[in-house]
Amino acid sequence: MVCAAVASAAVLGGSIGGAAPVAAQSADGPVKVGIRRITETQYRHTIADVFGPAVKIAARFEPEKREGGLLALGSTQLSLTSSGFEQYFALAGSIAEQVLSEAGRDAAVGCKPVDATKSDEACSRQFVSRYGEPLFRRPLTQSEAASLLKVATAGANQSHDFYAGLKLALTSLLIAPEFIFRIETAEPDPGAPQQLRLDGYTKVSRLSFLFWDTAPDAELLESARSGAIHTGAGLRQQLARMVASPRFEAGALAFFTDMLQLDGFDNLIKDPATYPKFNQSVADAAREQTRRTTIDLLIDKRQDYRDLFTSNATFINRYLAAVYQVPFKSAEEWAPYTFPESSERAGILTQVSFLTLFAHPAASSPTRRGIKLHEIFMCEPTPDPPANVDFSKVRDSTKGTVRGRLLDHMENTGCAGCHRRSDPPGLALEHFDGLGQLRAQENGAPIDVSTDFGGTKFEGARGLANYLHDNPKIPACLVRNVYSYGIGRKTTSRDEGYLAEQAKAFAGNGYRVPDLMVQIATTPQFFALNVTSNVTAEPQPGPAAAEPPQQSAGAIQ
Amino acid sequence: MSLRFNRRSILRGMLGGSAVYMGLPALDVFLNGNGTAFADGAKLPVRFGTYFWGLGLTDTPTGGTRWVPKKVGADYEITPELESLAALKSKVSVFSGFRVIGDGRPNLVHWSGHASILAGTAPATATRFAGPSFDTNIAAAIGTSTRFRVLDVDASVSRQPVSYSTLSGGSFSTPETTPLALYTRIFGNGFQDPNSANWKPDPSIMLRRSVLSAVTDQRRSLLANVGRADQVKLDQYFSSLRDMENQLAIQLQKPEKCESCVIPKAPAEVRRSASVDVVNANTKSMAKLLAMAMACNQTRVFNFVHTAGASETYIAGQSKIYHQITHDEPTDAQLGYQPQTSKLAALVMQAFGDFLGEMNAIKEGAGTLLDNSLIMGFSDTGYAKIHAIENIPMFLAGGAGGRHKAGQHVASKGDAVTRVSLTAMQLVGAPVGEFGTGTMKTAHPINEVMA
Repeated sequence: MVCAAVASAAVLGGSIGGAAPVAAQSADGPVKVGIRRITETQYRHTIADVFGPAVKIAARFEPEKREGGLLALGSTQLSLTSSGFEQYFALAGSIAEQVLSEAGRDAAVGCKPVDATKSDEACSRQFVSRYGEPLFRRPLTQSEAASLLKVATAGANQSHDFYAGLKLALTSLLIAPEFIFRIETAEPDPGAPQQLRLDGYTKVSRLSFLFWDTAPDAELLESARSGAIHTGAGLRQQLARMVASPRFEAGALAFFTDMLQLDGFDNLIKDPATYPKFNQSVADAAREQTRRTTIDLLIDKRQDYRDLFTSNATFINRYLAAVYQVPFKSAEEWAPYTFPESSERAGILTQVSFLTLFAHPAASSPTRRGIKLHEIFMCEPTPDPPANVDFSKVRDSTKGTVRGRLLDHMENTGCAGCHRRSDPPGLALEHFDGLGQLRAQENGAPIDVSTDFGGTKFEGARGLANYLHDNPKIPACLVRNVYSYGIGRKTTSRDEGYLAEQAKAFAGNGYRVPDLMVQIATTPQFFALNVTSNVTAEPQPGPAAAEPPQQSAGAIQ
Repeated sequence: MSLRFNRRSILRGMLGGSAVYMGLPALDVFLNGNGTAFADGAKLPVRFGTYFWGLGLTDTPTGGTRWVPKKVGADYEITPELESLAALKSKVSVFSGFRVIGDGRPNLVHWSGHASILAGTAPATATRFAGPSFDTNIAAAIGTSTRFRVLDVDASVSRQPVSYSTLSGGSFSTPETTPLALYTRIFGNGFQDPNSANWKPDPSIMLRRSVLSAVTDQRRSLLANVGRADQVKLDQYFSSLRDMENQLAIQLQKPEKCESCVIPKAPAEVRRSASVDVVNANTKSMAKLLAMAMACNQTRVFNFVHTAGASETYIAGQSKIYHQITHDEPTDAQLGYQPQTSKLAALVMQAFGDFLGEMNAIKEGAGTLLDNSLIMGFSDTGYAKIHAIENIPMFLAGGAGGRHKAGQHVASKGDAVTRVSLTAMQLVGAPVGEFGTGTMKTAHPINEVMA
């Protein structure tokens, strides 16, 4: 393999790290082993880190897509559509305008042109490399730097404005695929030259996006440049720094927002006639409540992950207090609140977010709740319903409770396989309506919340919470999700041994989530090449790789 | 677990095998001079659109059809669920009896139907199509000389924006989901009034184009050593980039005058609700905007979604959504069909009638915009209660510039849906001789409706 110093110190004279950057490259470039689009929050965090938090980002981002329960996996399938390109292009221009505004340009550029009405190669060069590296998450190649300089020079000369040229170069960096996509690349492993390993820049990106939900900072990039990230000590040093950083909260929040599917609040619809209390403020508050509770419990307090299902400590605001029918006395916008022991509410499944996201516009849905409980917390997707179902026994739901109707499903051979699994936990949550409000009756009939979940009998939401707390599938699923999320690949049957080991270690450290993330990132498997995602676009066999259920496909009650 | 791979074998695995070729569209605005129509009185351009709604129409196995006309050929009778088409009957052809043939692939509920109609092959998974949707073929043929190659619109107010237009089979277009967003896209920044007396080229557009050329410079090195799946993504990225270049190139040219172009007022923000009255109101106001986008020569191709496959629309105040009702509601023994379901189907079809009405309201040349358009209306299922993919209702509306012998009922005895798709492509002049794969492969359009 012909290796070349693709970006000489002369080209990248103003590079932040200072040392001559060298990227491994064959004659026809590095081997690209994976591409995924950065998410909206990753885009926002990166822009704030590189240009400061004052830069406004007003755009409609491309919709994301959930695969195998995670948007992080869907992001490996996505590209940029024409209308998305328009949006990102306009956004790139708007960011460049803000960064290079008259007030901000001196600080942003770091050098002054000899004549501001003309191009200035030395200063442009410095600007391009100053921002190229943090945005591309690796040093620019010579050819990339040259293209950007050409744009800056031509733009400056044509509009007689040095800064207009820089705006164009920056816009170009921000619309480039190398910024919008995470392009993972591999290099020959010096320890085993016939094999490939992820290169240092790809490794630090994986770490940074998992722990911080943003692009790697200068220190991470430096550890890639020096090769320190390939050593055990170098990796551990960075992990310790990352988990201690205030940015870690943003990383954990991005993970849980994805896993808990809280993006569903962006487009949540409820029927105003049925739920007059529902509005966008309630939706926003419900999402925020779950985010605050999760981060407080798992990251700030470092509690046992399983407590998420049973803890009655949470946070509420005025809007949620109305839905929960509890007093809100604080002068602050948000206040801690602990549901009393006598309350039916305990844990994340009894928060408005879960109860309202997984329901119908004008009704609750034990089936949806059950399906999502299995998918999100147990990593067990529900197959699509059979196409040709006999619905002849189904009753009219304007009478009695939904239980009767679902019991019919459970006796129908076509439906039973799935409904016997999905419905029991959902039936335990039936004291909460489609908005998550407490109720005891439906259509005038008392609601029975006793259930039999895989042979275990319990009563109501509290019973369900205790059952889940002690179910080993729950922490095992979190391990699987953290790993998949980090590496951007669905797990397959070949990963089972590794995942079982990690689940054991998770238990050993008291089910603490920050420790789990560090533990996974320390294993060589975290830096494995995702070859399968490139060799085949079809899903892999195995339970964890099965397709997730489609949005309300089939007979979802 | 083995984590290391021999580089040679990886390259073989990644780069070998059957490559996916994506036709990158030619930047042909320069080739045909953007002057195929309008000002000189030459032939008006043909437009094409898809119109999708979820949950089919009612045609029960016991024979209680609510939509299939008895009469075949011209002047078919109006059935209860087609009531909204009555006024435009002579401009709408009805296709009944066409079906999806899976060749062993399962019926993926609320997915296989439209995935097959659009991509020509039954899909293997319920998140992807087997290939590109055919509207992208048409856009490549007739959509490159306007500012937007295609506009995607979703009126459904769903949990997720819905579009069934895809270049790669895996990544779907991003639709506009409110009338205001659609208005802003068409008539906001970048819109140039074709009838303005003092048009001047905007010099900043040249500079914006140079931004894109710096990206294109790196295309070759970016596409080197890239795996098959990733190449598809990058191809789509560069295709989108070319659409942007095309937009900028068009904005540098003096637009042709468009007599029918009247710039509309910005619509108000609408209430976010998926109830059928709101979705239908959205449909109507978005149809007005789309019609004007075409009359103002901003686009010639669109994809419109009224409601998604497993439609979540509902009658305001009812606890059950349409999708649930199709499954739960018993068939009325006396009527022979599900009365609530049929009522919702008629409400949903009202939107299609209104949509076509808006296209027909714009005078163009000697006729209307609808006469110069072809709109394919279709759904995901036939009889929704059992997820049937037989007898999926399909319509071709509009004259396609005189090529469509509209106003007929074509009753098939189980031909593949791809025949209707192929007919649509050929009616608007896409250079396509055959469509589909396996049993659904066809080279036979429906000649009865072709002039």
